[in-house]
Amino acid sequence: MPRLYVVDVPEFRPLVETSRGRDGYRVSDTRKGYWLIETDGPMTFERKTLGMKPALWYGMFTGGLDGEVADWGRDTVTVIGTNRPL
Amino acid sequence: MTADLIHKKARQETAFSTNRAYRTDGIDVAALKPAADDGVRLRLHGVDHTARPTWKLRETVTFYRDILGLPLIHTISARGWGQPGHPDFLHFFFDAGNGATIAFFYYIGTERPEKYLSEDHYFYAATHTAWGVENRQELERWKETLEARGIAVSPYTQHEGIESIYFLDPNGYPLEVTLRLRDVERIDGQDAELTLRAAIDLEDAARASGTRMTDIDAVWRRKAALVDAWLEDA
Repeated sequence: MPRLYVVDVPEFRPLVETSRGRDGYRVSDTRKGYWLIETDGPMTFERKTLGMKPALWYGMFTGGLDGEVADWGRDTVTVIGTNRPL
Repeated sequence: MTADLIHKKARQETAFSTNRAYRTDGIDVAALKPAADDGVRLRLHGVDHTARPTWKLRETVTFYRDILGLPLIHTISARGWGQPGHPDFLHFFFDAGNGATIAFFYYIGTERPEKYLSEDHYFYAATHTAWGVENRQELERWKETLEARGIAVSPYTQHEGIESIYFLDPNGYPLEVTLRLRDVERIDGQDAELTLRAAIDLEDAARASGTRMTDIDAVWRRKAALVDAWLEDA
């Protein structure tokens, strides 16, 4: 299932904050500057909930994403698990 | 080294008057000696100037000096560089603050070659000048003032760590005014290394198989594996 590393800098912190306590989402403690978000099923985010402008939104997986982007629109994104090589 | 010694060591042939054998594009960078090998840490003190050619002298001076209000602080006018066939030229500098200038070359008697025409394309816009401002009020002052002076300015665009506005000069050169939103932290540099290592790995693999990298998703997957390894490496 999808695993997302989030760089521990202010602009990406909404990813961590909106994932905490969400059903099916696990957020690890930050280690060496990275948070890890894991989900049991598809991982979804909404841009307006994150409060991200488009330029940031389209770069928010830069920390590393073990998964497959199934659908990426201007306001929502869905990531599913993948067997593709890392 | 004192200025006198530097001058004694200088040769009459300059970088502009020789056959330009100093050029290093197309070389095998893997054959060069890394900085870590000789232990010499070369230091820089910010940007002195950037320079581009212009074929619109009046418009360029009017735009930078009179519309943007950047002081014209220096002009060189010369009979070429002493190199046969080199056109006479003007080279002029506008103050961009904090010791930096933006400079232009005007090559007298030449026409702008087609390949130097500006293009409305992101490849072209990648070469741009970004000036910094100190605070949000100043960024807003730039946008509102330039618009009031008749310049089309982009909306505010927030990136990682910076927020910018964009506009074009009369040559079609892209300009950016940017506000740094936070200091760059240690993790930014560490993360940059891992992102580029992931991408270089994939570029190497693609070259080896005669293909190209196709998307950023593959870089992100490779990056996840590199972060996994980096975290395990306590």
